[in-house]
Amino acid sequence: MTRLLEGKVAVVTGGGRGIGRAVCLALARHGAKVVVNDPGVNVDGTGFSQAPAQEVVDLIRAQGGTAVPNFDTVATMQGGENIIKTALDAFGTVDILVTCAGILRDRMIFNMTEEEWDAVIATHLKGTFTVVKYASIVMRQKRYGRIITFSSVSGLWGNSGQANYGAAKDGIAGFTRVIARDLGRYGITCNVISPGAETRMTQTVPEAARQLRAQRGILSSSTVTPRTFPRPPEAVAEVVVWLASDEAANVNGQIFHVAGNIVGLMNNPAVVKELRRPGGGRWTVEEIALLFPQTLGMDLVNPAPPQPPPQPTGQPAPAAPAPTPAS
Amino acid sequence: MGDALRGKVAVITGAGRGIGRAVALFFAQEGAKVVVNDPGVNVDGTGGTTAVADEVVAAIRKAGGEAVANYDSVVTMQGGENIIKTALDAFGRLDIVVTCAGILRDRMVFNMTEEEWDAVIATHLKGTFTVVKPACVIFRQQRSGRIITVSSESGLIGNSGQANYGAAKSGIAGFTKVVARDMGRYGVTANCIAPRAYTRMTAGVPEAARQIRAQRGIAGIEEEEGITQWQPEDVAPFLAYLASDYASHINGQVFLVYGDTIALMSQPRLIKTIYKPTGYWTVEELREVLPKTLTKGLVNPAPPQPAPTGRPGA
Repeated sequence: MTRLLEGKVAVVTGGGRGIGRAVCLALARHGAKVVVNDPGVNVDGTGFSQAPAQEVVDLIRAQGGTAVPNFDTVATMQGGENIIKTALDAFGTVDILVTCAGILRDRMIFNMTEEEWDAVIATHLKGTFTVVKYASIVMRQKRYGRIITFSSVSGLWGNSGQANYGAAKDGIAGFTRVIARDLGRYGITCNVISPGAETRMTQTVPEAARQLRAQRGILSSSTVTPRTFPRPPEAVAEVVVWLASDEAANVNGQIFHVAGNIVGLMNNPAVVKELRRPGGGRWTVEEIALLFPQTLGMDLVNPAPPQPPPQPTGQPAPAAPAPTPAS
Repeated sequence: MGDALRGKVAVITGAGRGIGRAVALFFAQEGAKVVVNDPGVNVDGTGGTTAVADEVVAAIRKAGGEAVANYDSVVTMQGGENIIKTALDAFGRLDIVVTCAGILRDRMVFNMTEEEWDAVIATHLKGTFTVVKPACVIFRQQRSGRIITVSSESGLIGNSGQANYGAAKSGIAGFTKVVARDMGRYGVTANCIAPRAYTRMTAGVPEAARQIRAQRGIAGIEEEEGITQWQPEDVAPFLAYLASDYASHINGQVFLVYGDTIALMSQPRLIKTIYKPTGYWTVEELREVLPKTLTKGLVNPAPPQPAPTGRPGA
């Protein structure tokens, strides 16, 4: 096996479990020295345990690799700084940063609490910034670096019940597009992975929820991607190794989707259709109402069409969906 | 004066200046009763004055429309609640929410402070959630409603020096796509617009910064090329269209709006995919296959530059 990362120093947040764990093991197998960061929290962010990070470090060492654990949270600047400092203290530098740390607090938007919002945004979005900031200082000085962040189809496509997670995950995609432009000139690349994998986190989405969404005609990632093949975290780790290698030097600012047997490139948002009213003068609402449906509006699909209101028990539901009430 | 929004009640955050102001005035012209929310802060979020929201309310009333002012900050849950409550107290209902409130604290990511990060994320991203959440409680009950959030090409496409703003603005797009799926079944729509307009906020991007980016070969966003010619008032009619009964089926979309142009933006989708029938791709295989397939022809938006001589790391 060719070792693509010989002598490189990598930091992996959320490295104790799931995709982060598989990434740590794969990076170490390719010769990287690894900081395995994980405070060992529950899926909802509560609790603390050194065991998951320590277990991954022990495993890497047992396989002849080099690794140290770190148990800081990514949600504070001090935590992010400590995580990067662990790499500098143990291995003298940082070449690769992979940000897998994340939690879940699913809730429909109208029921979501401030605490559920704040916890998810802090861990995913700020928790990506806190480590990227300190890593980028080092990488800029040495004019080399690889930053790989984690997004999700929950935000990129949209997934009901995850307004906090979706905001954080599409936010990470936008963050990464910006830092790719901040840091590219220093020989640093920044790319995003949108993973699909069977982990502790995805097990929390009950099959019943998936079926309910499908039944109500709400488009979601699970209706688009049937679970017909296994999706091990190791599949994601293989792509991370390649993006972290010197061979991916010119791949910057991109989104890759990895799920089981497929690896895909996603487009970044761009204009697909334009409607113009040249020659000055502003649009009127009536003009737009006339032109929009036959231009930009053609083929647009409502991802969650209106449903009839629930009927009192014993009465049949109306055959057709109720029209949107005009006020 | 049209009547596309006759009888509707609209809440507009950040409505004291710029795009929010233009939207408030236009919505009122189209017959909506408007809550003009604005704490009147500076572009960086500091300070505060009731004067800017009051001015817009006065202008709407002078033109024969109906409006009330609200000065709460969108960054707290209480602020969001108060803003929505203002609509219920003054007009007895709520039909439309437009979230324009925003601030800027530009900095390269390696120099960005926690305060710069937190302030921008709080105002844009949480400040969208705090208002949309209580609005959704009402919209779900009445089984109708229009949510229009404001994103930016800075996050959707990427703009150097705006890691906080880009994260927030792309986050708002993701948030809106989820809300569209949470609320669509209740007859509610949620869409996102990325506007280009010459306002106090965009005027703050120094011409020098634009020139440096161009000189260093860093891909900027097209917005910068003609920004001074696009007025905030140009954006308003399309938002009124989205807020009207005409647009009852348009949900979960992202639009770019400026000057004489309305554009539909793509959302991230798989555009090139490789599939292996037996098991997952190994890195040995990916090394061979990716450069010939997925990554072939990709352009680095900020190619590596030679180090300045004599000043390593500068």
